[in-house]
Amino acid sequence: MTDILIIGAGLSGLFASILAAKVNADVTLVSAGHGGLSISHGCIDVWSKATPSRSFSRIRKKHPYRIAGKRALDIAIAAFEEITHDASYPFSGSLSRQLFIPTAIGALHCTALAPYSLAHSEITNTTPIAIGSIAGLRDCFPEMLVRNLRANGYAVERSIPLSLPGSEPCRDLYSTDLAYRFDDSSFREQIAQLWKPRLSGIHCLGLPAVLGLRQPHQVFQSFQELLGIKLFEIPTPPPSLPGLRLEKVLFNTAIHFGVNIILGSSATGLIDRSQKLKRVSGIKLHAANSSRHLKARNVILATGGFLHGGLIARRDGSIHESVFNLPLDYSENRPALLAPSIFDEQPYEKHGVRVNSQMQPLDLKGDPVYENLFAAGGIIAGADRQSEGSRQGIDLATAQRAVEAALE
Amino acid sequence: MNHEFLSTDHCLKCNICTASCPVASVTDQFLGPKAVGPQAHRFQHPHYALPDVSEEWCSSCGTCTIVCPHDVPVAEMIAKMKERPHRETPWRDRIISRPEVLGRFAARFAGIVNRLINSSRVRTALDRFLGISSKASFPSIARTSLRKSLRDYYVKSPNRLEEISRLTVGYFHGCSTNYFEPLIGELAVRILEALGLYVFLPPQVCCGLPLQSNGLFDAARKLANENIKYLTPFLREKIPIVGTSPSCMLAFKHDYRSVLGIDTEEANLLANSSYDFFEFILQFVPEDVSRINYNKVTALALYHPPCQLRGHGIGIPALTILRRIPGLHLEVSDLACCGVAGTYGVKSERYQVAYSVGEKLFQQAFALDVDFIISDSETCRWWISKHTELPVYHPLEILARSMGII
Amino acid sequence: MPSFSTELLVIGAGATGLGIAWDACLRGIKVVVVDQSNIAQGTSGRYHGLLHSGGRYAITDPVSAQECASENTILRRIIPHAIEDTGGLYLALRTDPADYAHEWLLACQKIGIDLEPRSLDQVRRREPALTKAISQAFQVNAASLDSFDLLNSLSHSIRKAGGQVLLHQRVNEFIIENNTVVAAELVSELDQTTMHIGAEIFINAAGPWSDQVAALAGVNIPLTHSKGTMIAMANRLTHTIIHRCRPHSNGDVIVPAGSVMIIGTTDIPVASANDLSIQQSEIDFLMDQGEELIPGFAKTRPLRAWAGIRPIYNSRQYGINATREYSRSHVLIDHGETDGISGLASIFGGKLTTFRLMAQRVVDFVSRELQIDDECCTATVPIEPEKKEFIVLSNRTTRLLSSEKDISDSVICECENVRQSEIESYIQSSPHFELDNLRCTTRLGMGPCQSAFCSVRATEIAFSSHESEDLLADLASFIDRRWRGTSHLAWGQSMRQMALSRRLYFELLDIQQVSGDGS
Repeated sequence: MTDILIIGAGLSGLFASILAAKVNADVTLVSAGHGGLSISHGCIDVWSKATPSRSFSRIRKKHPYRIAGKRALDIAIAAFEEITHDASYPFSGSLSRQLFIPTAIGALHCTALAPYSLAHSEITNTTPIAIGSIAGLRDCFPEMLVRNLRANGYAVERSIPLSLPGSEPCRDLYSTDLAYRFDDSSFREQIAQLWKPRLSGIHCLGLPAVLGLRQPHQVFQSFQELLGIKLFEIPTPPPSLPGLRLEKVLFNTAIHFGVNIILGSSATGLIDRSQKLKRVSGIKLHAANSSRHLKARNVILATGGFLHGGLIARRDGSIHESVFNLPLDYSENRPALLAPSIFDEQPYEKHGVRVNSQMQPLDLKGDPVYENLFAAGGIIAGADRQSEGSRQGIDLATAQRAVEAALE
Repeated sequence: MNHEFLSTDHCLKCNICTASCPVASVTDQFLGPKAVGPQAHRFQHPHYALPDVSEEWCSSCGTCTIVCPHDVPVAEMIAKMKERPHRETPWRDRIISRPEVLGRFAARFAGIVNRLINSSRVRTALDRFLGISSKASFPSIARTSLRKSLRDYYVKSPNRLEEISRLTVGYFHGCSTNYFEPLIGELAVRILEALGLYVFLPPQVCCGLPLQSNGLFDAARKLANENIKYLTPFLREKIPIVGTSPSCMLAFKHDYRSVLGIDTEEANLLANSSYDFFEFILQFVPEDVSRINYNKVTALALYHPPCQLRGHGIGIPALTILRRIPGLHLEVSDLACCGVAGTYGVKSERYQVAYSVGEKLFQQAFALDVDFIISDSETCRWWISKHTELPVYHPLEILARSMGII
Repeated sequence: MPSFSTELLVIGAGATGLGIAWDACLRGIKVVVVDQSNIAQGTSGRYHGLLHSGGRYAITDPVSAQECASENTILRRIIPHAIEDTGGLYLALRTDPADYAHEWLLACQKIGIDLEPRSLDQVRRREPALTKAISQAFQVNAASLDSFDLLNSLSHSIRKAGGQVLLHQRVNEFIIENNTVVAAELVSELDQTTMHIGAEIFINAAGPWSDQVAALAGVNIPLTHSKGTMIAMANRLTHTIIHRCRPHSNGDVIVPAGSVMIIGTTDIPVASANDLSIQQSEIDFLMDQGEELIPGFAKTRPLRAWAGIRPIYNSRQYGINATREYSRSHVLIDHGETDGISGLASIFGGKLTTFRLMAQRVVDFVSRELQIDDECCTATVPIEPEKKEFIVLSNRTTRLLSSEKDISDSVICECENVRQSEIESYIQSSPHFELDNLRCTTRLGMGPCQSAFCSVRATEIAFSSHESEDLLADLASFIDRRWRGTSHLAWGQSMRQMALSRRLYFELLDIQQVSGDGS
């Protein structure tokens, strides 16, 4: 019987598994697949609308941040920084200011913590920068970057097309193709020799985020040195390396601390009917062949929202929580999920399970459904994480609180 | 309703599979699992041949299916595309996909064969004329096969087991353990017996996975159906089957149904009654396992969980036990695949890609300066050993050492 | 303002208008076609994809049925590249009225529509996904016709033959002298500049907007608008067109089209030509109808829903609720005769399958008016394609492999395999870059991810040759349109896909920061 069973290997699940394993709990992490980190920018958005530390008290009471509490957010951020620092993947930024990083099309994304290679150069509007585009990398948008970064007030001199050595590839390249190559020091040296002549007169160069996957900080710094100019990375459309790097760091850290990871199997919740108290006994694990029971003392549900199946929308308009069929708070027969325009606020972002300050999912009366079931991350209702720019912050804060509550 | 459509429908094009594919990341000859799997699948038509979409570069490691959050059986889709008529399959593939035949033949001439496969002239010739890479790893043939040395354990029918009161389990050894690594089979039996189980060897043939990987589906199905026929009488008596080769066990649990399309009641029974060795002992005899008195094994080791094991969806059960062994410092490789993926890395035209896939694992072993490497799959062991020149053990060998069995 | 004259001005660049212009060109008539929007934004671009065999109208409208049958043969000859010969099956299910199939069979035979009865075994072998509850089955000559390919080819052929096709030009005013229309004043939808075109004859082929156009000449046309909704399913569950053999109803045709399958339609009276709103009940209905023909249909994934407006000439002045009753055959009104305004005629009705025939009749009329003797030859002269890559599935499958093709030609839309070279030729041939038009021309963005990945890639390609403000605004408007097409499909994988799109656009790219919100 495992102490803590965590369902979902997204940011909140992975983070929760590390927190619990670090205090020597016996942790099992189960997930049907990878989470959404590879489709994210790999940064920690806490509250993009304004400075996080100044905005907290103004956030409404039922918001996951308020339910988890500022203390949980502070501890979570500190723990996150420690984990990434120990994995040689440092982040810049803090809760007391806003960090702006360029996106693949030259917009500016406001975040709280960003990996060093994305944020360190702290470009101001007078820093002359150039944008490098890599031949064969389809998801590279130099024209838009130049135009939009300029419109955003940056001193972009020009874009520089950069080629790759060797014969032409047989297909369009993904960012991961390049990242794997950049992990190799001889490749970096070869590329640096090829690119250096094209970069004369450039002080600061923005590149698509392809500079390594496994030891990204070291790769980034060594490549900067080889080129002799300042660099910064720009996340690409999926697969997004900053997200993948963070995911790898978290997976490896979890394994290092002894988390038992079961990937590729989905879960159905099991209720403990032997007790008078309402408890869950674990899950039915749907592995390659059949189902087997995995017993746990405590379960943390970190299955996310609609995107990765934590919540399911059916054709008849009903919505369901996919593991324990927890009660969801909506009154209409057919809850609105999508606003007519993509630019509107979307109702689906807010759906999920309501929780108390112990991160226990609640029934419609407001009581915990099960004593030993907790929730973290996107499965929790009450926040439009996209509009707020609070996705990763909520993941971390609620995971922190859920682990605390589960271990109590 | 054909399940295929439902699973193609599930693909959101998110590229999570592509990002994790060990082959796509080292060669642009492979279009990537998303492109070759669900993306190409939409264009399938009974009258128009789907053009070559580079599916032969897929090593069938199964990582794409494992990481997909949307239930797309990517690896299975691509595996099915590899099916070819017999006449279109090169001779080499027809040979290397039949390890049982090879093993049976070679066993008779074990001494000569071992000398030949170590001869660089022979290997060069095989490379040039058959396309079997001279740099790939070949195991040595054992002088005495497992079945010969354990012939007393052979049980043809469950009637012979009626008197047994202990928990009984049938051991599926597979061709590799039988002909190439009988020690592993012997240790498996002894560990199971030490844990209080009654072990026997049922009638069995090659699991057929190498044939499937090389597109010879009909031949694979023949072997699959033979295994099902032999094992069903035991399964009906609720006797489970345990294996030490995660690839064979994955074939039983999964490929027979999901790739070869054998969806009978017996096939389902086999799927539900098959277990990986460590999965089995943790699930069936947990108390005996918890009572094991582990002797110290002082070593620094790198554990590489094979791709086929990850495909079971049971996590890495051997780790749970290895972590209990005092003195054993374990590092766990995060590489999804060591590169050989069964018969893939053995082929001359694939060797370089296979090597690139596993390169980081070899580098990690050197960087950590480990004493040995651990991996559950036989082809992984031979491949990693060849490229690191370090011993590579099945985790049960370490357990056996710690239990004092060897 | 620019001002010029021509012989024939056709208003509306749908299948009818372009068909008329093509016929006119071949008869040596100087012709200009104008359209308020881009090609394929009207009814022709919101089409089911069905090249009729005629069977559908055998009982209710034998004249139409006959026309469909013969035009089917002709179109296969003149525009083969836009047609996939899927064949069609008429299926009477066990729950359908028992004697209808027999009645239908007789009606078809009377008209001479090619059909062959099929046994249940044959049907199941051909299309294993179909329901087993079939009582009778007949094979017909239906095929899948891509209207975008058709319209683009027509437009290209017209230009090659010396005609003009002017897009984004809306008729603002007719200049009428002595009760005769002599010129039209047009306003550009892009930059509000005006243009003056004189002509001897004006043909109003504006589809759902015909009444608005006619009103500019003071002519009242009783037009009823009937909206039909269709859904494109992500996969071709059958490769044959499936019709339900039962009394005329809704949602009983399924057409494999390109890499998708389209089910339709509904029939909802609407008050205006611009009311393309979709009701959830229509979606539910169509999914249920599909399930009756293909068990499990309702569990598979819909990609997108859209509606088209059928303009129906309401000659009997019925109330707005009985739109299916009217003849779908076409009507040509010479306003000189009916309303005292010469020089203007309106054409309505018909279906895409008979566009050439409608055009022939119109141009026969125009020829008489212009006293030109040339005979129609559109039945034999092929309509040339503009590009080499087409929508039909067989063509797309052969282009899947990259190693034989030009490797440096990036695959921009991975779902539908649209290459960079296609986008570049589009840019070269269209002065005005519009992602939605690019979509219609190449199928970019019409696959499962609904342009989540390719919209930005395509915009980047256009950046070097177009104004960035316009491109970014167009991008915003395009992704919003893609969204609106899926907003009624908020379940299962479609729901997940939309969540993914939004995460990509708003969190990874922060698109609204640079593009605005498309309004």
